[in-house]
Amino acid sequence: MIASVLRRFRRWLPASAIVIALSGCATNAPQDTWKPKGPNAAKIDNLQKPIFAVAGIIGVIVFAAVIYCVIKFRDRGQPIPHQSHGNPALEITLTIIPALILTVVGVFTVRTVFDLAKTNDTEMIINVTGQQWWWEYDYPVQAQFGITQPIVTSGQLVFPAGTKVLLRATSRDVIHSFWIPALNGKRDVVPGRVQTNRIEADLPGIYAGQCTEFCGLSHANMRMEAVALSKEDFAKWVANQQSAYVAPADGTLAKEGESVFLSQCVRCHQVNGLTRADGSPAIAAADENVWSGVAPNLTHLMSRNTFAGAMFDLAKPACRDEVWESDPATFGGKYLQGVTEDCLNQSALRAWLRNAPAVKPMYTNPAQLTKTGGKTRGMPFLGLSESDIEKLVAYLLTRS
Amino acid sequence: MTDAAVHNDAEHNVHASSSGISNVKLGMWLFLGSECLLFGGLISTYMLYRGRVGQGPTPSQVFDIPFTSVSSFVLLMSSLTMVLAVSSATKKDDRGTTLWLTVTALLGATFVGGQVYEFTAFKSEGLGFGTSLFGSSFYTLTGFHGVHVTVGIIMLMALVGVVQRGEIPGSKAETIEMIGLYWHFVDIVWIVIFTLIYLIPV
Amino acid sequence: MAIIERSTPQVALPLVEVPVTASSTFGVLKRPVAATGWKSWLFTVDHKKIGIMYGAAAMFFFVLGGIEALLIRLQLAAPNGKVLNADVYNQMFTMHATTMVFLFVMPMAAAFANYFIPLQIGARDVAFPRLNAFGLWALISGGIFLNLAWFLGGAADGGWFMYAPNSGPVFSPTHGIDFWALGLQITGIASLAGAINLIVTLLNMRAPGMSLMRLPIFSWMALVVQFLLLFAVPVITVALFLLTFQRNFGATFFDVSAGADPLLWQHLFWIFGHPEVYILVLPSFGIVSEVLPVFSRKPLFGYPFVVFSGAAIGFVGWGVWAHHMFASGLGPVSVAVFSMTTMLIAVPTGVKIVNWTLTLWGGKLWFTTAMKFSIALIVLFTIGGLSGVTHAVAPADTQQTDTYYIVAHLHYVLFGGAVLGLFSGFYYWWPKVFGKMLSERIGTWNFWLMVIGMNLTFGPMHILGLQGQPRRMYIWTEARAGEGFFNLGFWNLVSSIGAFVIASGVLLFLINVVRTARSGIPAPLDPWDSRSLEWMTTNPPKEHNFDVIPTVHHLDEFFHRKYKEGDNGEMVKIKTAEEILTEQEQAADKHIHMPSPSYWPLVLALGLPITAYGVIYSIPIAVFGGFVILFAAFGLGLEPATAKDTDFDPPTDTDATSGEVVPVD
Repeated sequence: MIASVLRRFRRWLPASAIVIALSGCATNAPQDTWKPKGPNAAKIDNLQKPIFAVAGIIGVIVFAAVIYCVIKFRDRGQPIPHQSHGNPALEITLTIIPALILTVVGVFTVRTVFDLAKTNDTEMIINVTGQQWWWEYDYPVQAQFGITQPIVTSGQLVFPAGTKVLLRATSRDVIHSFWIPALNGKRDVVPGRVQTNRIEADLPGIYAGQCTEFCGLSHANMRMEAVALSKEDFAKWVANQQSAYVAPADGTLAKEGESVFLSQCVRCHQVNGLTRADGSPAIAAADENVWSGVAPNLTHLMSRNTFAGAMFDLAKPACRDEVWESDPATFGGKYLQGVTEDCLNQSALRAWLRNAPAVKPMYTNPAQLTKTGGKTRGMPFLGLSESDIEKLVAYLLTRS
Repeated sequence: MTDAAVHNDAEHNVHASSSGISNVKLGMWLFLGSECLLFGGLISTYMLYRGRVGQGPTPSQVFDIPFTSVSSFVLLMSSLTMVLAVSSATKKDDRGTTLWLTVTALLGATFVGGQVYEFTAFKSEGLGFGTSLFGSSFYTLTGFHGVHVTVGIIMLMALVGVVQRGEIPGSKAETIEMIGLYWHFVDIVWIVIFTLIYLIPV
Repeated sequence: MAIIERSTPQVALPLVEVPVTASSTFGVLKRPVAATGWKSWLFTVDHKKIGIMYGAAAMFFFVLGGIEALLIRLQLAAPNGKVLNADVYNQMFTMHATTMVFLFVMPMAAAFANYFIPLQIGARDVAFPRLNAFGLWALISGGIFLNLAWFLGGAADGGWFMYAPNSGPVFSPTHGIDFWALGLQITGIASLAGAINLIVTLLNMRAPGMSLMRLPIFSWMALVVQFLLLFAVPVITVALFLLTFQRNFGATFFDVSAGADPLLWQHLFWIFGHPEVYILVLPSFGIVSEVLPVFSRKPLFGYPFVVFSGAAIGFVGWGVWAHHMFASGLGPVSVAVFSMTTMLIAVPTGVKIVNWTLTLWGGKLWFTTAMKFSIALIVLFTIGGLSGVTHAVAPADTQQTDTYYIVAHLHYVLFGGAVLGLFSGFYYWWPKVFGKMLSERIGTWNFWLMVIGMNLTFGPMHILGLQGQPRRMYIWTEARAGEGFFNLGFWNLVSSIGAFVIASGVLLFLINVVRTARSGIPAPLDPWDSRSLEWMTTNPPKEHNFDVIPTVHHLDEFFHRKYKEGDNGEMVKIKTAEEILTEQEQAADKHIHMPSPSYWPLVLALGLPITAYGVIYSIPIAVFGGFVILFAAFGLGLEPATAKDTDFDPPTDTDATSGEVVPVD
């Protein structure tokens, strides 16, 4: 092993430092910043690659100079050198050269900064809202995409490929940062402000991201995934999201699950179209129970394949991998199947329902809630019985 | 050099200084430079937040500009009496020094008293510390200034005691001049604060 | 000993225990004019003892911060680490950064500055010796106060940058952040006191002939740093006050529901925070600029350029803060401007690298441990500097910021820059401070372990970050780690192993210190054939530093007293260090009054944490603390710097023939 590393190292030694670094990189890292999958990230990449190269070359020159000095000028008993205090002409030259290099770098940087800030050719708008520790995506009415009523979802940001999407981002509690490296650089989401960032994907596929502004206890678990679909597939997705509520058939386990949902989950989670026994709409009251005032909308939970802030896979590993690893042509079809009963990651979902704070650190312990007036930050322990969990899972499976 | 006693009594500068300014004065100047940034930060915060009144009263609803103008005038006058104190000290006139230091301290105390009255009045008009961003930043900025004036008064009173006892480390005039620098700085900061808070409308 | 008298020629008389009638302030706390033993440390105002205590305190916190780092790397060695839970991990990385920045690098730089500035400029002490002692004790009480939170419900958990509103009372319900804010306030007071003191010392107390352009380069860099502190500390003071007022007194500064703008904190923090970066590295730049010429046997290449580039960094450092906020949404104009200023600051930094390399060029290099650390600094800091340029490019930074790439960058700058420079300083100046040589053999091991360890730890972080691993995550997951042998899991493991290699290097240093203290070789007078004034006295220096204040004619004065240029340009040794010292001793000043020890700095510094504790838990305690501070401030202000002659029995301020001789220890 070591020998092979050494051999590899020796082979690359004459090349620049970047090449050495590249030879030791992971393949297929989902959040690789050097693998752009859309024009915004590509603009950044086109800017940064040459700069890394220049930096590498300058680094090699400095190392070479130092190593040369160390070998050439070591004490071999030579007399004490002449006490020269420097050479201003050389000094000024060596100041101007980096200044010039940086000026060139600066010109390209400024151009790219303004280029990336352009929003006037936006084709679609999605609102992104961060809160501890998950992302909500809502789609304002945009008839040209078939969005005739607002869509609210979470976990996975679904959008059409080849479309310039403007994200309008804000936060309901602390600062978070929205980052899908393959699509664009990150943009902080700041409470009280709406900030914009553009994304566009060249091809259908799923692109991983992660909250990158430290946002408290479960910062590490606040992930997100952006799902690009072809225009036709996106239209299908929109149609499904806007479909009317279908209650489970009477007498099924799912129907019992619906009443458990009504007695427990609806305190925070909205399912659009769900009604109570008396026919009144069941409106989630997360604002009374959760500090940020919202909980993920579960109307079409099974249409996405993650949950709990994209921390857990809703699909079993095999099913998940099939979606993630499919090629752009077949991706949309597989994704739109959603999570079926065969694919459901039962153990993760049940563990979550059993005791959410045990699997994802959150502020739900009453002792920590004095400053929030008893409101939790995250999903509390509900004390559900195993049979209630059974019923809930059955109900949630119908939320496709 | 070898025979003379060399007092490296650095704080009191028996040594000639390389810069020509005595150690204590240079130290005070540096401290005041640092204070500029402190007040700069507080003033910036106030300027950012002064319009954000939430449900609470607005600046124009609570400010009593004639009253504050009078107390500002009192504080400005105290700079004048401070100058007189320094000049008496330079002339080694202990009585004059005591007199003018006391007057300066009293004028400063009048200003602080006025500020306490003002805070009480604002509070009764519904502007608490946590009422709004305007309230928080107003009380913080003016409160910090008030604490600076209070510290100045304490130092002036200590100087009076020292002059009375005739005991002060180093040169009396120099110490009084150094405290004077501080006092003038606090006054100048008030001119800036008064202009920005009270005179420039939101 | 407060007063040292020499008669010429020196006659060693037995030290007579003399009864002392000490004066006092307010009739309490009799002045400790003749303290011995531990009291001679606790109440000292000697800049050298204070410097040593700064160093010891900083080293303690370095070990503490290092243990925190090891726990962090243990947690991250494998996916879904179980060593720490999320809560403790968040406290750990917050306190690791806070400790290393505020309680290790800054105090260690203060240790060097305190010890060597007076020696380098030919002074007998700093301008305000008691203020100096106060700074030390304030730092120590602040450091202890900060860490007290571990035992009182949990340390601060908001990251060292403590962004609002995550630092608010709702989002961090423990008292950790209260302790953090008030603890930093206390260390800030210490820094401010130190800054004023050292600037006055450097501007006013230079030996005759030492113009600013003959000032040794370490002192120059320290001067720049003190100015940065002078203006940066009040900004963080404001920010910390706003935070404390919000958390403890119901103010609304960062309460978004009241209309607050969370970016206010970021601006205040980074206006302080970026100059802070230069506060951390410039002292080490100064040390390296001393060490390289000594072991290259030629002057620093382009001394004026190094001075001016240091000053330029000090100025431009104020105009780059928003590069920490490229992802915050400042708008393209601000981003472009700060991107350009950040590139601008790379130029003077590059000047330093060039000058160090050219100092080596044509020299006669002697690879002592100190020299090795300095050369390693050139190389490793260059890596940090170049990765810095890649995120001066704002669009690239939006990919890099808050990933491990930044962690790699900042550690190449702060470990490769600041820490290696400090270690270079340890090996270079140890014989000066303690009169014994650190073992070069252990030193070599120490050097290689630290340098290899640091590259193993922080090198892979470049890859981790560029391949998308964000920082400040208590766990990482295999789902995002990629595939192949060199996946992110591999590099996380390498990084964790590297951390332990560094730790073993530091451990060797500590062993070296203990061994040297027990049985080190006594240091020769001028072991490195050095160039600046601090070597023109004994090892360790006498309490009054110099028997006679030297008159300075050259940059590198000491070197020019030892060597002369021969007829054909070669350097000829004309005097040894011993001869120069003997000359000095023969011309010694007779009565040297040094500032006397005092209790008040310690009392004043103890008042600060009492007040801070009261702010958190109970206002009456805070009021009590306030009275302690007031009382001590009066004590300090009214007490003369040098004890009155009547404090000594018999009075010593008589002429030289009195025959009272106190041997110099």
